[in-house]
Amino acid sequence: MILYDYVLSASCYKVRLMAALLGVRLEVKAVNFHPARDHKSAEMLRLNPQGTLPVLVDGDLVLTQSANMLRHLARQNAPQWLGEASGQIDPWLDFAGELNASLGMARLHDVLGFDADIVQVRRDGIRQLRKMEAHLAEQRFAGMGFLAGVAPTIADIACFPNTALAPDGGVSLDPYPSIRLWMRAIRSVPGFVEMPGIHRLHELAPAPERSR
Amino acid sequence: MPGRIDGQDIAIWRGASGQVHAWGDRCPHRGMRLSHGFVRGETLACIYHGWQYDADGGCDHIPAHPNLVPPKTICATTYSCAESDDVIWVALRPTDEKCPSLAGLRGVRSLTIDAAAEQVASHFGQAVNAILRLGTADNITLALQPMDADHCTAHALSDARADRTDVSRWLEHQRRVIEGQPA
Repeated sequence: MILYDYVLSASCYKVRLMAALLGVRLEVKAVNFHPARDHKSAEMLRLNPQGTLPVLVDGDLVLTQSANMLRHLARQNAPQWLGEASGQIDPWLDFAGELNASLGMARLHDVLGFDADIVQVRRDGIRQLRKMEAHLAEQRFAGMGFLAGVAPTIADIACFPNTALAPDGGVSLDPYPSIRLWMRAIRSVPGFVEMPGIHRLHELAPAPERSR
Repeated sequence: MPGRIDGQDIAIWRGASGQVHAWGDRCPHRGMRLSHGFVRGETLACIYHGWQYDADGGCDHIPAHPNLVPPKTICATTYSCAESDDVIWVALRPTDEKCPSLAGLRGVRSLTIDAAAEQVASHFGQAVNAILRLGTADNITLALQPMDADHCTAHALSDARADRTDVSRWLEHQRRVIEGQPA
């Protein structure tokens, strides 16, 4: 499986993270999204006429939507990641798209200089974070730590990157204790990998020896 | 975890023994937020360069200089901090005040509100105080954390038998009213 990837992209990271958690090896091809805009090159447009990243190629299958990539990886390797009912998963995959348009765009504005109505996208992002915070609190009351149950699903992986990277777009996560607990739970899943801006849980690794 | 009290950023952390600590949210080395750091045993380590601080706030290890005993002058700002009835209380200045009793209540959730603590208190027809007993059937009680002129956090508790989802949704509604958003 080949992933056309940009290391700073939240959507590309969703796919790298899902593959890592499932123990799937991806052949990662780095695309110079910024500043070269190689995702709009003739070669990439032949592969994906929409000119977006990530692109996942599995034999004859070419996927260009990260939600479909998560479904594909889970279906082939560990169907429990699809959740018990798609009715609980699909709304959160749509929600992840909304997060990408709000918090994701705020981050692209601040980090890569994209043109955006920064006040509006931050306001939208905060409204969505409050919605997720309330849902995760209610999940916790019911003994569930993840968006769609007691175990993580593709819904969590889809929503995690743009949420965790919100501070890059000038949106603080300090007001959302349930979201922070949820992020800790995701970062505790065996096989978790980091990306620039999202670090692993150091306390899970043994302390380095002191040479004193 | 991060917190903000009267304009001061605070890092609140719990050692392996369960002891809670409230420190200024700045590493004395490069100013990184200590709330991004990580706890191992009874020490807090900064995420930036790994400087480690003891429970008393003193720096006890600098990984880049493993053989150096850090001077006693390197220390985090510490505040007094106590835990009572599942609520953590922080005092920025020395005080003899006891933590208010919240016995018999159960924590629901903490909501940050885009309004001053005074505005939240007056919405419920009360003077601003550390705790607001709202007199609802569920005995909803708010421990009010003033953050700055425009923000506070309401740590909500209610009767142990109350449906926390109902309480949470009621609080969301109250927040919309306080912030003046369309309900």
